[in-house]
Amino acid sequence: MISFTFNNQKIEAIEGMTIAAAIFSTGEKVLRQTRFGGDDRSIFCGIGICWDCVVTVDGVINQRACLIQVSDGMVVTS
Amino acid sequence: MKSPDAIVIGAGIAGASCALALTNAGLTVLVLDRGPVAGGTTGAGEGNILVSDKDPGPELTLALRSRDLWFDMQSDVGDHFELEAKGGIVVARHDEKPLKDFAAKQRAAGVDVQEVGDRELHELEPFLTPEITSGVFYPQDSQCQPMLAAAHVLRAVRLRGGQVITGATVKAIDTSGGRVQGVQSDKGNFSSPIIINATGTWAGDIATMAGSHLPIAPRKGFILVTAPAPKLIHHKVYDSDYVANVASSDADLQTSTVVEGTRAGTILIGASRERIGFDGRMNVDILRRLAAQATSLFPILRDIQLLRAYRGFRPYAPDHLPVIGEDSLIQGLWHSAGHEGAGIGLAPGSAHLITAQIIGKTPFMDPAPFSPKRFQAGAA
Amino acid sequence: MIAIIGAGPAGLSAAAAATRRGEEVIIIDSSSQLGGQYWRHLPSARNDSHSLHYDFSKAQKLFDELLSQPLLTRYSNSQVWQAEKCGDQFHLYILRNGVEEKVVADKVILATGAYDRTIPFPGWTFPGVMTPGAAQAMLKGHGVLVGKKVVIAGTGPFILPVATGLAESGAEIVGLFEFNNPFRWIFNLHGLLLNPSRIAEAFYYLKKLQKHRVKIEFGKKVESATRSSAVVDGTEIECDVIAVGWGFAPDVTLAGILGAQLGVDSDGTVIVKVDRRQETNILGLFAAGEATGIGGSTLSMIEGRIAGGGRGGLSRWRAQVFANGLKKVYPVPSILTKNLPEETIICRCEEVTRGQICTSIDELGAQSARTAKLFTRAGMGLCQGRVCGRNVSEIVADHLVQKVSDSERIAGGQRPLAAPISLGELGDGLAKKF
Repeated sequence: MISFTFNNQKIEAIEGMTIAAAIFSTGEKVLRQTRFGGDDRSIFCGIGICWDCVVTVDGVINQRACLIQVSDGMVVTS
Repeated sequence: MKSPDAIVIGAGIAGASCALALTNAGLTVLVLDRGPVAGGTTGAGEGNILVSDKDPGPELTLALRSRDLWFDMQSDVGDHFELEAKGGIVVARHDEKPLKDFAAKQRAAGVDVQEVGDRELHELEPFLTPEITSGVFYPQDSQCQPMLAAAHVLRAVRLRGGQVITGATVKAIDTSGGRVQGVQSDKGNFSSPIIINATGTWAGDIATMAGSHLPIAPRKGFILVTAPAPKLIHHKVYDSDYVANVASSDADLQTSTVVEGTRAGTILIGASRERIGFDGRMNVDILRRLAAQATSLFPILRDIQLLRAYRGFRPYAPDHLPVIGEDSLIQGLWHSAGHEGAGIGLAPGSAHLITAQIIGKTPFMDPAPFSPKRFQAGAA
Repeated sequence: MIAIIGAGPAGLSAAAAATRRGEEVIIIDSSSQLGGQYWRHLPSARNDSHSLHYDFSKAQKLFDELLSQPLLTRYSNSQVWQAEKCGDQFHLYILRNGVEEKVVADKVILATGAYDRTIPFPGWTFPGVMTPGAAQAMLKGHGVLVGKKVVIAGTGPFILPVATGLAESGAEIVGLFEFNNPFRWIFNLHGLLLNPSRIAEAFYYLKKLQKHRVKIEFGKKVESATRSSAVVDGTEIECDVIAVGWGFAPDVTLAGILGAQLGVDSDGTVIVKVDRRQETNILGLFAAGEATGIGGSTLSMIEGRIAGGGRGGLSRWRAQVFANGLKKVYPVPSILTKNLPEETIICRCEEVTRGQICTSIDELGAQSARTAKLFTRAGMGLCQGRVCGRNVSEIVADHLVQKVSDSERIAGGQRPLAAPISLGELGDGLAKKF
């Protein structure tokens, strides 16, 4: 198991899992808020097409949570 | 409306501005476009309303007035097109003397120019590379969303009694005794003593159709659009090669950078200029050069993703001055074209010049330098 | 050298056919594993792997063959972001683990597949509303259940394996709704009769679902969603996930970038036009699988084989008849994009509502989807209209009382970049002298 943080919460994950899978496995669905309406969003297409699940990964914005695999110590924010 | 007072061909920003100015002067106006509103160069532009890139001379005089007319137009039709005086910053990477000399000349011509040192520059643009330590700030430089501007201006024209027909291709321009009589289009024929050619890159074709001629050619430009990001860039930021490029006649590809943020959160990187006709293919090398230049100005952009790139064709005349005024061969045919990359900024000023001449008022400046006559004298 | 883009059923079959003929092949795929969306599976390190997929042995055989094939080079975690044809050769610019590389190939086979087609409804942006493909990818790729109480709806045979997989893994399927009536197959019986294995597969799923007491209901759809329920036929069903899919949309971006002729299929999707050898109008550029028309994995494999230089034969015809039947039995009615409430979000990225799109037509004179998009920013966001493009076109056409033209549909499939690239990586390409 490896661990990373999502909005400062520590999450354990199996190596090879995507960020979205790791977060979903904790029961959480909300990945981010939209930039105009501030509405909660989550995964939608799940395969990298729709970009609804974008999060900030180690400071880099607009990263698709459904594609990027977690790594130990990764810092993910909405 | 079979016989309007004036027919404007072209529903881009040049045509829309003319239609509004003429309507406000009391004329009934018909606007025709073969495509949709803002379907040509207007729809492919950043929305630049600049004074910073212009040499003292008639174009700068026009640009200064036109910039103020943009804000008048906003008061007239409403705050619908994201007009903002965001200000421009020009920086020099190597030799800053030409930049400062240029600024001094502009200041003498009435442009608001402020030289900024290291600290002030990085207060204005916190993410600008620390390697650059001075620049010139132009608070008058502004920006709008040009498609929305054309659409809302034309909406005002319609509400004030004008008519706009899109998807109407002009097939012929009727003339008799060296005077325009009207146009034939695939959506009907219309007669009018005044026809305004505001067709941008295609203005030469319309001139030919009327039996005149105009040497307007397309110059290709790319704009890179990034994924939306938080506000990283607060002004339009240019490297000073841009100023040199605009005034260049070199046909080779040249790139220099303009980087700016938009209200939608995307960052626009633009200003590649290439004169190779209408071939619209993507050129990966230009994308790379623009990206490399933008990230060297703003290293923080390295992690920002390019989302799309689009190209537009900037209409230009051989002497790089716009063509604004009545045709010297065909009476009643007026041109507002060939504004190159400055068409958005110069549109209301050009409309003002044309309208003043049509209704017999004294224009705010001598329109002679822009007259189409300069290209038509030999053929007359 | 042949470059194959996509490692799903079509791409892998093409790779197998080409390497068997002694060709050198490079296969480029965005995932870390072979299989594509269809044969997505858990990493081999996790031993609970393959039980979730019907007839996985076919896939495993291909994986085994290709993984030991010395003529095959694998680029995993790789996306082609840009491509050019220079003379007789193709230059592919690839982001491999985020770093740009260039690959030059004499022949390119596009096996880029498809993604779920979605249609807006009130509440469809709430977390928990997703495509069946998303639920499937989380389960098959990671063993993660997207929710405890799941509603599955839409149309097409794909919703059956998704429902089955979720039920088998412990989710409660609180509703399974197929909008179209299965009796429509009666008019396309030859498609079924020629492909008896497909009937067997359907019964496999239905039997499993029966075991979990899941009943499939026909002629119903999800009308709206709240944060914790779906409204179906006026009845509120409590659930934490709603998976709705309306068939698939082919991914034709790279074909468009390379200048290949695109066409519109009978289901209105934009596809790559190919000849009998799966070659496009661009010499040396081939396409196979869903990108040439939605037809399922069997047809994809056959097309892949042909593109790789192998034979198709009668099996192709049989699978094609089945694919044609699918489009007739599971149509997506145009009524779905009509009468949506004004405040319904159509473009998820830029949060553009149906009302805003209609206002751009009524007030600003937008007379086409292209102009409506420019005025409202619909389709201009991160996904570049992949999700909303077709729906915006339908809404604009409906509002103008027009039909969406083929040329507009095709224009909607054209994008200048096949994948985003960071400006840093893009600029660094200058020094690499590609």
